[in-house]
Amino acid sequence: MADKETVIGPETRISGEVRGDEDLIVRGRIDGRVQLTQTLTVEKGATVQADVDVRNLIIAGTVVGAIVASESVKLTSTARVVGDLASPRVMMEAGAAYRGRVDMGDIAAARAAVSARAVERPAASEKPVFRPAPPRMAPVAKAVVVGKAVAPVAPAAPAARPATPTTAAAGAPVSASPPAFPRVAGTMGAMSPAWAKKKIRRR
Amino acid sequence: MANTVIGSSIVIDGEITGEESLTILGTVKGKISVAQNLAVEVGATVEADVEAQTVTVSGKLTGNVVARERLELKPESKMVGDAKSPRIVIADGAGFKGNVDMDV
Repeated sequence: MADKETVIGPETRISGEVRGDEDLIVRGRIDGRVQLTQTLTVEKGATVQADVDVRNLIIAGTVVGAIVASESVKLTSTARVVGDLASPRVMMEAGAAYRGRVDMGDIAAARAAVSARAVERPAASEKPVFRPAPPRMAPVAKAVVVGKAVAPVAPAAPAARPATPTTAAAGAPVSASPPAFPRVAGTMGAMSPAWAKKKIRRR
Repeated sequence: MANTVIGSSIVIDGEITGEESLTILGTVKGKISVAQNLAVEVGATVEADVEAQTVTVSGKLTGNVVARERLELKPESKMVGDAKSPRIVIADGAGFKGNVDMDV
């Protein structure tokens, strides 16, 4: 029992600040801030909604928040991560879902930015702090099929047609011209891969 | 086996809630609420209001304690705060300052 590792069990939730000089394994949930000089492991099913400043970070669960790792970050295939990430070594396995900015260069600046965020937030032990909703995965840009084919009866103006792809598809025969898929300009959905369109499951 | 362990170099400032057992070897400030057992081990420091099924203190605990079943202060433990529990065990050598409420 001498070398007990720190484990946050699956049914345990910590809100506030966690600091330490040893490895930490999260199976449950941490909200707030995590600062370690060793390795943080976020296991599958675990949620860390916190600014994270550690040496090594292994993610198999969900992490939402700014991440600074002075040595390395590994996103395994089950990882779901939203937030900017700064570390000299970043590994992502196929299947990992990530949205945010990666910086493999200026770790010190990223750490300063995270620390500044911690200062402007009041002490975690006072009461639950309101945090603005973190950026979610981009929603799926709904492709509206505008039937441009020449309709057999009344060629209604395509612009006037409401956004009902099912009826549009049923009413119009197989399009002569390829169907247009207008994307909402400016959203990530237009260019992001399939996994990014899935919403992160958050409890 | 405890499900959650807070290691000796870990400092937590905030609230811990859980449906399982919690073993503390490090430092916790704030509030602790667990459905099962809480163990404050030798070398651990807890400055928190505590609620648990059973509480076993071997280290230092400052704060009010509600143990639904049993509170035990081991030898060498130090506790300052009010204790509320139907069964309270204070070992020889334990230090305790505070009110005791056994709900009688």
